Amino acid sequence: MPPTIRLEQICVTKRGRPVLTDVTLTFAPGGMYSILGSSGAGKTTLLRLLNRLEDPTSGALRLDDTPYPQVSPVVLRRRVAMVFQVPVVFTGSVQDNLLMPQRLQQPYDGDVATLRRRLELAGLDATFLDRDAARLSVGEKQRVCMARALMTEPEVLLLDEPTAALDPTAARRLIESVADLNRQVGLTVIMVSHQPGQARAVGGQVVLLVGGGVAERNSAAEFFSAPATENGRSYLNGTLRGDLP
Amino acid sequence: MNPQLIDPSWLQLAVAAGLVLIAIGVSAARGLGLERDLAVATVRTFVQLLALGYVLGFVFSSARPALIVGILLFMLTIAAWTVAGRQRRPTNRLRLLVLASLTSGCGLTLVLATEVILRIQPWYNPYYLIPLMGMVIGNSLNSATLAVERLDSDLRNTRDRVEALLALGATSRQAAAAPVHDAMKAAMIPIINSMMVVGLVSLPGMMTGQILGGSVPLVAIKYQVLIMYMIAFSTAVTAFVLTTLRARAYFTPAHQLRDEMLAG
Repeated sequence: MPPTIRLEQICVTKRGRPVLTDVTLTFAPGGMYSILGSSGAGKTTLLRLLNRLEDPTSGALRLDDTPYPQVSPVVLRRRVAMVFQVPVVFTGSVQDNLLMPQRLQQPYDGDVATLRRRLELAGLDATFLDRDAARLSVGEKQRVCMARALMTEPEVLLLDEPTAALDPTAARRLIESVADLNRQVGLTVIMVSHQPGQARAVGGQVVLLVGGGVAERNSAAEFFSAPATENGRSYLNGTLRGDLP
Repeated sequence: MNPQLIDPSWLQLAVAAGLVLIAIGVSAARGLGLERDLAVATVRTFVQLLALGYVLGFVFSSARPALIVGILLFMLTIAAWTVAGRQRRPTNRLRLLVLASLTSGCGLTLVLATEVILRIQPWYNPYYLIPLMGMVIGNSLNSATLAVERLDSDLRNTRDRVEALLALGATSRQAAAAPVHDAMKAAMIPIINSMMVVGLVSLPGMMTGQILGGSVPLVAIKYQVLIMYMIAFSTAVTAFVLTTLRARAYFTPAHQLRDEMLAG
């Protein structure tokens, strides 16, 4: 079962500016979470904390009951994997890319059946294995990044605006794959999104960040039909501090 | 000694300086704006080398071990400050790091060459230590500059790639492996090029000086071979220590990129 991740009174300050203020949240095993909010609301920073690419200025994160600093970052990042907004593929074929996590961690194990399964989970078929990763479309690259992240057999998948660089069709298909990973594979998925429509499509829970704090935490169904807060309503009708959701 | 050795008079040197005057004229005619720099460089070359002549004269005659070691450390420190000064943001931390790398690379080379290979007597004999160290530091300094420049720009420009690797569970060492590899290569290539063409298109300064000074050519050549090997070794050790330490400075113990190292 995936771990429970808890954030307790998290504050992050960067170059004297508060980025996250007093964020307390729990991500339950197998949950589907969408993090919404304007640009600069702290969404990406929140995700980077969860993958421990950054540490909070104050407050604590816990993986089940273990404080983050007591878990090896290398182990943590394999359990709580992250896919970035701009896909980064490494030199070589798609197969080389998928094997990268194994190559980082000896011994090297190149089971092709596993590669095929991961690729299919990310929405690509096995014919892609021999293709040059650098020559794929942005959407395909993003899927390769997702498949590669799945190679570490994570229990939690963090996605930072995974469709930001994609056209609407590719974006819709990627979101379907994300929903499948959550529902069929049982991964906890935490997805930062700029598009409320995607959060509505995947369902689950919504966390709205405003100015670095949690403004609303609600089920997607409730949030989109009857938001509980003024910030939630403003966000949905596009009047939240000049933001266009 | 070369029996026909000409000892250039000061007047003859002044005539040679006239060559630079022509170079200054060329710069002015082409609008390069290098006249001032050339003039300053001409004066500095004269003053610095003249001062060195007097210092060496004093050092060679006094030959006190502490003084000689002090001079070697002084040379290393100036070199470290020069390398750090070439970078975008020279910090004291970087200066110390370069000093540590140059000291380990050049120091180890000098000890091996003079104490193990040549077995000079006494161990601090300044006639060997100072010129050999000068040659080794001069070359290692250039390599160190190239290594830091390349590593810094690669880590900044491939930040996305480095973080993608970290996010897949790479250690900071694994994540920085490609930039470190490329920086070491950049540092090593100049000496490899020099070794490839030495004697074919280039006559090294030390050998030229020895031959003019009257040494038997074969002895001068043996020293030059030794020097080239020393430089190759010291470049490799300096670049290895420097890139390893410098790359480490970019990461926290929790394998996170340090934002402040990448900013600006």
